[in-house]
Amino acid sequence: MSRDTDPVLKNSRREAIIITIVWVAATSYCCAYSYWFGYNRPGRPLGIKDLDPVWGIPSWVFWGILAPWLVCSLFTFWFAGFYMVDDDLGTDRSAELDRDIREGGAE
Amino acid sequence: MNAAGVIHAQPPTLIALVLFTLVSLGLGVVANLVGRKGNFLEKYFLGNRSLGAFAVALTAAVMSGGTFVGFPSLVYSFGWVVGLWICSYMVAPLTILGILGKRIGQLSRRTGAITLPDLLRERFGSPTLGLLTSILVMFFLICNLIPQFKAGAVILRIVLPTETTNWFVTDESANSADVAYYVGLAIFTATVVAYTTYGGFLAAIWTDVFQSLIMAVGVLLLFPLAMHKAGGIEQATLKGMQLAGNGFGFGPGAGRAFHPLGLAVSFFFMWAITGMGQPSTLVRLMAFRDSRTLRWSIIYLTLYNMVIYVPLIFIFVAARSILPNLKSPDDAMPSLVISLANPYLAGLILAAPYGAVLSTVSGWLLIVSSGMVRDIYQRFLRPMASEKEIARASYLATVTVGLIAAVAAIRPPEYLQLIVVFSSTGMAAAFLMPALLGSFWRRTTATGAIAAMVIGTAVTLGLYLLGTLGPDRFHLDWLLPANPEIGAKSSFRPYYLLGLDPCIWSLVASLLAGVVGSLLSAPPKPERLSLFFDAQPPDAPASATLDLHPELGTKRA
Repeated sequence: MSRDTDPVLKNSRREAIIITIVWVAATSYCCAYSYWFGYNRPGRPLGIKDLDPVWGIPSWVFWGILAPWLVCSLFTFWFAGFYMVDDDLGTDRSAELDRDIREGGAE
Repeated sequence: MNAAGVIHAQPPTLIALVLFTLVSLGLGVVANLVGRKGNFLEKYFLGNRSLGAFAVALTAAVMSGGTFVGFPSLVYSFGWVVGLWICSYMVAPLTILGILGKRIGQLSRRTGAITLPDLLRERFGSPTLGLLTSILVMFFLICNLIPQFKAGAVILRIVLPTETTNWFVTDESANSADVAYYVGLAIFTATVVAYTTYGGFLAAIWTDVFQSLIMAVGVLLLFPLAMHKAGGIEQATLKGMQLAGNGFGFGPGAGRAFHPLGLAVSFFFMWAITGMGQPSTLVRLMAFRDSRTLRWSIIYLTLYNMVIYVPLIFIFVAARSILPNLKSPDDAMPSLVISLANPYLAGLILAAPYGAVLSTVSGWLLIVSSGMVRDIYQRFLRPMASEKEIARASYLATVTVGLIAAVAAIRPPEYLQLIVVFSSTGMAAAFLMPALLGSFWRRTTATGAIAAMVIGTAVTLGLYLLGTLGPDRFHLDWLLPANPEIGAKSSFRPYYLLGLDPCIWSLVASLLAGVVGSLLSAPPKPERLSLFFDAQPPDAPASATLDLHPELGTKRA
């Protein structure tokens, strides 16, 4: 029996690890930046003067949400467009499973 | 507003919805004609694994009709912090489609699975796991269908002319708002059940694509109208802060601590991670055409999320200054559309949430009916059933599930949006870890998958019970502090242990249960595992064939 690891599994595992790292980075950055610059915290109430708008948008929203959204989207275009491997997913066995269900029922 | 206290749109809105409904019914007929070749079940419930990139992108991760009604109402109520609430959509296309996509696509082909219970049963060789999956899918999705039926009926109540419903009111004391709701429910049920039953999976997918495109057009048209009316986004923010308080411009939100840091982290799990474990997503990962399709669907979905969700935040921040005194924030979307756009354009935009509800319901109806037909009727009751009998059973199951949900929606429970969140969390807690561990970890066993499913579900149910009834009802007030007043205000709510949403606790518990359960049980058979984890020749048998004829494994070895 062949013991070579399935190439789809190998590629999927590598891609899943990279995606997980990106998700962790996005979560950490967006939550930390927004909390630090855009949240009312004990002893640090925020008001209109703290909006510091960029193109009319509160600066914590611009740098903490919209800028990373753009960066993540650009990364996604590169990752899905050029990095992910076009693997062969194999033959569809649904007709075989259908036969197996009937055969199992006949026994 | 009319005497019954209900918002009513103008007649052109009704015309747009009638056209939308006719297109949906037409798509059902075309889908039925197109997919006549091949195995009935695979065609009816999986569209012969033929989904293209556009269809996968626009149908895999758009949550439901509530997304287009509930999300705007949150922005209107709590302000800019809702941008942080939704912003994990920036990575959601990658996580939801990219992490499990190719492996689920491959495993479903290698096993021949056409439903989620099919997939888990075949991957782990466990009929018990298949049956448990079917029961949980049915429980959570029927919970989810009831609010969707209500949402469909409510939209129709808004657009139906009052004369239509007054015709049914014979007693002067009758409440015309109730009658309008029942008429709306009847029309909605008849439409969605008809085209789903006739057209199957492809009809559900095509309607979903159609409504997603209409929604994108609607949002892009609404954006300049709202910005112009509000005098720009900076003015809108300042006015919103004057009206709702400084919290409108900052976290954790206006009026209450809607989105503190713990929930901000939680919602990166909620959208980007739990989305991976939804049966509707997993079914689409079994249905896409090939890897190239998957890659392009990730790109399309990323673009779609930017085009839809970023402008929606701006539009409903502006809505607070345009319509400052809305009685119910849930009316923010229809009220803004009716007040800003001309009646025909309003009709087009309002048709989109209606279409979102239609397509969500049709997709879920098929998942529940496929579970009933494939995983219970064919597997346990009638394995020798002919193709014709299976087809009849599928049509009957789809109609029956639709009617059950409609009857339950006659007296729908309160707190509908929270029931949707609860069910989505429950489904992710039940199915994500079995799918993830089963895809990437050889040592996962059926016992581990069952443990992950049961413990994940139990933690979700437990935290919702604890939050709704309070720790004191369980004599746990000596151990657990009172539930923090965070998130949306409601009496049906989860217990936010350490300020985090239950999705985090239930996923962690499910993962631990899956790992411990697997390590404590006997390792799976190597020849079975080899089918899923090792490179295979083209003539390798399906796992069910190997179970029926174990000698095949010996020969190959």
